[in-house]
Amino acid sequence: MSNGSLPLAGVVLLAWGAVYLVTQLITAPPLGTGTTVLIGAGLTTALIVGYPSALRGPRSKRSVQPASARVQQGRHGTTIAAVGRSMPLRSGLTAESAHRTAQLLQPLLSGAAVAITDREHVLAFAGPGADHHRSGDDVVAPTARALNRGKTVLVRRRGELRCPNGDCPLRTAVIVPLTDGNRTVGTLQVYRGDGALSPQGVVEGLAGILSLHLELAELNRRQRLAVDAKLDALRAQINPHFLFNTLNTIASKVHTDTEETRQLLVRLSDFFRYVVRQEGHFAEFGQEYFFVRTYVSLEQARYGDRVRVRYDIDPQVLTAHVPVLIIQPLVENAIKHGLAGKVEGGTVTLKARVDPLTRTTSIRVADDGAGIPADLLKRISDGERGEGDGQGLSNIAGRLASLYGERYRLDIQSTENGGTVVDLQIPLG
Amino acid sequence: MRDPVRADDGREPSLGSADEHDTPAEVDAAFRTLRRVAIGHVAVFTCVIIAVPLLTAALGWWSQGRLSGGMSPMFAMTAFGLYAFFFVICLAAATLSNAVEERMLGGPAREAHHDEEGTLPP
Repeated sequence: MSNGSLPLAGVVLLAWGAVYLVTQLITAPPLGTGTTVLIGAGLTTALIVGYPSALRGPRSKRSVQPASARVQQGRHGTTIAAVGRSMPLRSGLTAESAHRTAQLLQPLLSGAAVAITDREHVLAFAGPGADHHRSGDDVVAPTARALNRGKTVLVRRRGELRCPNGDCPLRTAVIVPLTDGNRTVGTLQVYRGDGALSPQGVVEGLAGILSLHLELAELNRRQRLAVDAKLDALRAQINPHFLFNTLNTIASKVHTDTEETRQLLVRLSDFFRYVVRQEGHFAEFGQEYFFVRTYVSLEQARYGDRVRVRYDIDPQVLTAHVPVLIIQPLVENAIKHGLAGKVEGGTVTLKARVDPLTRTTSIRVADDGAGIPADLLKRISDGERGEGDGQGLSNIAGRLASLYGERYRLDIQSTENGGTVVDLQIPLG
Repeated sequence: MRDPVRADDGREPSLGSADEHDTPAEVDAAFRTLRRVAIGHVAVFTCVIIAVPLLTAALGWWSQGRLSGGMSPMFAMTAFGLYAFFFVICLAAATLSNAVEERMLGGPAREAHHDEEGTLPP
């Protein structure tokens, strides 16, 4: 709790002592009770509000923007830069995102109409002519040309637009392909009704920004797939040896202790049910705790008194959401690499705390086992993997980075023959 | 210790009922967490109880001010406020303790050991 609520409580207590000292003992005559309480309450509020900011430290320089940039901020700003920042296509080329994008672009293009298509249909249309140019319509011939060639197509005559509506106010169009990497996935179309063409450079610039958004959307999708794959890898990683050893343990107890055998089978079924049925990337800590207990009890059946465990759980942490299959691999590492090789065994401690003030969940898995040699610890810290190292820690670190970015901390401290402590701090969810 | 084959009422025991599934370490952990809950609530309880005489000593309005019905704030607190506080803190402690016990002992799916894709062996 070095960063937690306890130091704050101490500071608040000291502040009240100081207020009392100043207002009642030093000041003559002493200030009224109401004034004293008001000063104390104000100071307490300032401390409570300021404390999390002080813990977070100074803001990074990246968030400091020049005044000129701030002027253009806002989701529905009126500049192309604002469109670039609002990233309407960040979720991919869908009808909804295309509609938002068209609505955002149309005012920038001085009354021109804007359409966004995929390779087959119009996804969104905004501006004059929207009454008969509807989303869902098939793309027209000039659009198909732009899609096939991957180049800008300029339509200078009304007839080339192939609009069946005789009253259509649109006369010219600039059709620019939208790309996702090397693939042309759709078009951005800017129409005008006054006979002039929209500036080609501006439209191509906008299409470039939107294409960049589409690439980012694809990258996001791949990143999500990578996180899913890591979770699946962790699920699949349940060591066959673990199942083999547990079944052997159960088999050895069948004739001597039927009740324990039954309990072990129930626990084994609980263990695999949790692994198989867990959906999504987060679970309540209480569920993860149950999974850890199940795993530990199966290992204890095998190792007997050599594996001892101590759980130290904060009541508030039980309902906090934590990434699934994060704690059990840490406990598994502590037992497999820390205690299993030690003849007299040892104790694994799982400690979980929540700090509501800093909105942090802290999880510590410690053992007093064999420890990690310094060179191996350095390799693990550097994220290197050697043969037989397994993928538990690197997988966990990768998943945490994908889920939280830089808002998590995973510390490993170990001394040879002195045990290992793994500290994990994640945002409270 | 329960009969592993027959429950007290002679019925087949449900597979994996919570009370026969928790290890000593788990019960110990639940006990420590419940103790933490109890200590936290006792601390709040004590602070509020001590605050009443402290306010009497520090704040003249506390004993000399008049609320509706001519009651002083201290009288209102001792006559009604403290009982309401006792009720609330007891309820909070009991609710939290039950929630802790539910999450730290037993398991989430102990009652239903049938998998959708399979059946329990005879």
